[in-house]
Amino acid sequence: MTKLLSLLRRVNERLAIAAGVLLLVSVLVTLFDIITRPLGLSLGGTDELSGYAMAIATSWGISYALTSMAHVRIDLVRARCGSRLQAFFDAVAIVALAGVAAVIAYRVWPVVAKTIKNNATANTTLETPLWIPQSMWMAGWFWFAISAIIIATCAVLFVATGDAEEVKKHAGMGSDA
Amino acid sequence: MILFTSGGLLALLALSIPVGIVLFLLAFAIDFFFSPFPLMRGLGQIVWSSSNSATLIAIPFFVLLGEFLVRSGVARKTYSALESWVSWMPGGLIHANIATATLFSATSGSSVATAATVASVATPQADKLGYDPKLFSGAIAAGGTLGIMIPPSINLIVYGFLTETSIPQLFLAGLIPGLCLALLFMVVTAIFCAAKPSLGGPGISATWAQRFRGLIDLIPLLGLFGTIVGSIYAGWATPTEAAAVGVAMAFLIAATQKAITKDMLVESLKGTVRTTAMIMLVVIGAYVLNFVLTAAGVSRALQEFLQDLGWGALATLLVIVLIYIILGFFIETLSLMVATIPIIVPVIVQLGYDKLWFGILMIILVEMALITPPVGLNLYVVQGVRKKGPFTDVMIGVIPYAIAMLAMVGLLILFPAIALFLPNNI
Repeated sequence: MTKLLSLLRRVNERLAIAAGVLLLVSVLVTLFDIITRPLGLSLGGTDELSGYAMAIATSWGISYALTSMAHVRIDLVRARCGSRLQAFFDAVAIVALAGVAAVIAYRVWPVVAKTIKNNATANTTLETPLWIPQSMWMAGWFWFAISAIIIATCAVLFVATGDAEEVKKHAGMGSDA
Repeated sequence: MILFTSGGLLALLALSIPVGIVLFLLAFAIDFFFSPFPLMRGLGQIVWSSSNSATLIAIPFFVLLGEFLVRSGVARKTYSALESWVSWMPGGLIHANIATATLFSATSGSSVATAATVASVATPQADKLGYDPKLFSGAIAAGGTLGIMIPPSINLIVYGFLTETSIPQLFLAGLIPGLCLALLFMVVTAIFCAAKPSLGGPGISATWAQRFRGLIDLIPLLGLFGTIVGSIYAGWATPTEAAAVGVAMAFLIAATQKAITKDMLVESLKGTVRTTAMIMLVVIGAYVLNFVLTAAGVSRALQEFLQDLGWGALATLLVIVLIYIILGFFIETLSLMVATIPIIVPVIVQLGYDKLWFGILMIILVEMALITPPVGLNLYVVQGVRKKGPFTDVMIGVIPYAIAMLAMVGLLILFPAIALFLPNNI
């Protein structure tokens, strides 16, 4: 289980770098747009592309924030508990997160399905076929649900076997590490 | 319904469930119990439209800018240039802490990064010159909070996005209050240290020639600030475009300091994605909750409830301020802001207050949340860099500055023009 979790962590790290590169490209596109605007060469559609980049980088980055335990949690009660109880808190938190992630993943699918059915394009000069950015965005949320369910399952098993330290290591809070 | 929402919010937060997830759960619950028709069918569409945004991409851009700047090593030179200018006042180097934090705030959008950077360059000086650690570290923690007030500010972008307020206008509105607050911090320092010199320490004696030579080291940050904020104010660039230019400039600054390596780039990108994703989960959650609260009529119910109380606008406002101060002890900045915007801002508008002005007021209140224990991120950041001495040093040292913030809240309520003058006249 520990192996699976550290593999997950490494994969998400790679994905985060990819998402970061996407943001960097977005910076460059924006700069290109600014520089070429006075020359009349501007391609247009920068805003639209930035929007897609943001949606995609967000949905993929959320899994990385999860495995690096960066999602903000309020530590007020948890911090006053012993190690076993803290592990219990962590398990509740990750299970709740996995549940919500699953609901989101279930609900983002119709967005893409509808786009594909209607063959929808963006209402812009680029006329982007919307299924392209939307399916990349959707895949990010799917991956978030998968990552969360894996961690949640492991956390519950760790709690069941009384391995509090492992729970804290993989589903604890950033400040513990 | 109101009790359900606010009680549920606090209970789920206390369970240490991630804040963004709590907002989703609340939205699901309100939809399930109170809405006459299923709202969550549209969840996917809401998530898509709230993250597919050319406005919000300014957030990762500003985060990346900050990551470059923090790793560029420019902070040390800035600090020594500023200490030659301000350390003659009672309180000595403490003023340099505040001034460096102010200047860093003016370029990076994040308070925590500001506090961490200033702490890492200032702490060795404090040890060398034998400063009392309390006020010294308190000033860094408090000065760091300016990062979310002085433009560009990530928190103001989030506020503008969620309340449909113009972000350039918010940036204009934040400028004077931010500078006032920095000035207040320095005045407070000078008063405390004049009354009791042992709280401070010796300043650095500098000749005028040294001071003016130091100005060269301030050019990178001032230039960065001038470009970003100037181009937004002049209407040449959107905040997103200005942020992209800022990223390029920060990269050049880091390159001139020979700080660019492959590792540095990878770490900067990872840090950017982590921070952005963390912010966005909370923002998307708030967006969903916002939608549900409005559609299920909770916002209206709360407004009617407050109207029935018949307290009048000012009294209600003061109660809201008090709620923020209390919640600020327990909830961290961005979460506090984002979780309360859907509930509080409609009420404020209903009372006849200006959304723009309230945005700035809210920022000061959440700045206080950053430095009020037990959950005050900046306190831990400064303590983390200090690596020694009791945590209570930072907690005590920050008290004068928290009082200064309260004074600023009062001033802003008495004289809304402090925030509204620039947006109304430019």
